Amino acid sequence: MTHSNKRRQVDYQIIARWVGEGDRVLDLGCGRGVLLEYLKQKKSVYGVGVDISFERILSCVKRGVPAYHGDVGALLATFDDNAFDRVIFSRSVELVDDPDAILAEGLRVGKRVTVGFVNHGFWVNRLNFLFKGQRTINEVYPRAWYETLPSNPFSVSEFDAFCQARQIKIENRVYLSGNWTSECTVLPNALAGYAIYDLSK
Amino acid sequence: MNDSEAAQQAPAEGEVGLVESQDFVSNEPFQFESGGTIPELSLRYETYGHLNAAKDNAILICHALSGNHHCAGVHSMDERKPGWWNFVIGPGKPIDTSRYFVICSNALGGCSGSSGPYSINPKTGQRYRLDFPKLTVRDMVKAQSLLVDSLGIDCLHAVLGGSMGGMQTLQWAIDFPNRVGRYIAMACCARHNAQAIAFNDTGRQAIVRDPVWDNGNYDPDSPPGHGLSVARMMAHITYLSDAGMEAKFGRKRRSVEPGAEHFDVEFEVESYLRYQGQSFVGRFDANTYLYLTKALDRFDLHSPVSLDDTLAAVTAPGLVVGFTSDWLYPPQGNREVAEALLRLGKDATYAELEMDFGHDSFLVRSPELYNLIRTFLDR
Repeated sequence: MTHSNKRRQVDYQIIARWVGEGDRVLDLGCGRGVLLEYLKQKKSVYGVGVDISFERILSCVKRGVPAYHGDVGALLATFDDNAFDRVIFSRSVELVDDPDAILAEGLRVGKRVTVGFVNHGFWVNRLNFLFKGQRTINEVYPRAWYETLPSNPFSVSEFDAFCQARQIKIENRVYLSGNWTSECTVLPNALAGYAIYDLSK
Repeated sequence: MNDSEAAQQAPAEGEVGLVESQDFVSNEPFQFESGGTIPELSLRYETYGHLNAAKDNAILICHALSGNHHCAGVHSMDERKPGWWNFVIGPGKPIDTSRYFVICSNALGGCSGSSGPYSINPKTGQRYRLDFPKLTVRDMVKAQSLLVDSLGIDCLHAVLGGSMGGMQTLQWAIDFPNRVGRYIAMACCARHNAQAIAFNDTGRQAIVRDPVWDNGNYDPDSPPGHGLSVARMMAHITYLSDAGMEAKFGRKRRSVEPGAEHFDVEFEVESYLRYQGQSFVGRFDANTYLYLTKALDRFDLHSPVSLDDTLAAVTAPGLVVGFTSDWLYPPQGNREVAEALLRLGKDATYAELEMDFGHDSFLVRSPELYNLIRTFLDR
């Protein structure tokens, strides 16, 4: 198992912790459907994935994961309030055009919302900028700025401030340290490499 | 190498090769949704591959408006063109005939050998013409289900089709949920929008305003060719796309013969469309065109109950495929179906292919589409 697979699975275990048996789950930015396949196996969920890449939708078809090829916002708008038990954004909030509106839609359509994100306030990122004046290139951010999608990275404290401003309730949260395996309990904005939030309206 | 040279070669490995059409005849009267009946039902069909002992490897293919039951192989070694989906169907192809038993019938109402306005009413010995009952997509599916019965098949491994075939596919999933293992509806919609109805009616008007049409009582050997060819030319434009036509024809000109009239063929695109219109007259019946286009205009999964309530009957996993350049049945109409299925908590997938070939994209060679079909059928 590669290091990144291991990391991914820790992430999945925490996401699965907050998913109920047989829940209806919507995974926005589902990629190749690996998380939904995992949740289907572990929790017998009815899961739907959404992605903008045809290749990734094809992978979902291979996995037997129902998937919608298209825009996250347009699909969310077609669902009734609380249509899903849980809406998941796993490393996808930073990629959407209007995160504020999309998260509000996610909270309307899902009874609960999971947001997993890379903490941009992680100390390594800070040191890289402080000493090199450059963004970090590592396993998490393997590519240079000109090879990546437009992205809107944010930190743990920025996300906390957003939840407070929008009166979004944080039901649970887990921080992972820089190796993404052990949990991080102190100074998460500086010491957490990854954060997973469980939100409700 | 042109088509005729290709056909002279022996069928290469991976082809279904020589095929024969068969006729399914039910001597029971067939009742239409409209209440009308015909004394017996006949459907012309073809099959490829072998039905296994469990009879659970059958795939039903539903053809589009101007298509027919001949979707793979050739009828004779001289045939210029193989069936309309030949590159998808065959041993080792996306619809693999070494694994699946493939069935395709000429739709009820069609003019390639099935009961329809062009067929002979056994009671009168005359063609039905406009005495043929009002036809719906649901009638077509009901007739196909009788054919499937006659082959001893309870549950189809899959039903799939594009355009009118996509509508039939959805109707199958709704009307016979226990008989459909999975389905793929391509370039389809829950109902025609105003634009689609407008184009269809303009085509119908071209036919009925052709004096030769004579209320449907024309001599089949001299049909209302002006009306039917213009209807086909216009419809054909709606099957293509701006970008596709530009790439294929642009403003390319034909060499103009000396003495050509001002309005004779000048551009390649004119020549192409006139040829399409003319060849259609030779292979398609005008009354049939009226019936089938009307059946499509009336197809409406939003009625008599809501789209969600209509689709609630579906149990099989489904795949809906839209094409970005399809402006006849645009992606949003395909998405609408998939979104309703997902609202209902069905196992449904929506995929959208970026292709320049308009509505007809599903008939064009595309590795992405092939991969999608193969993966979905085999999963």
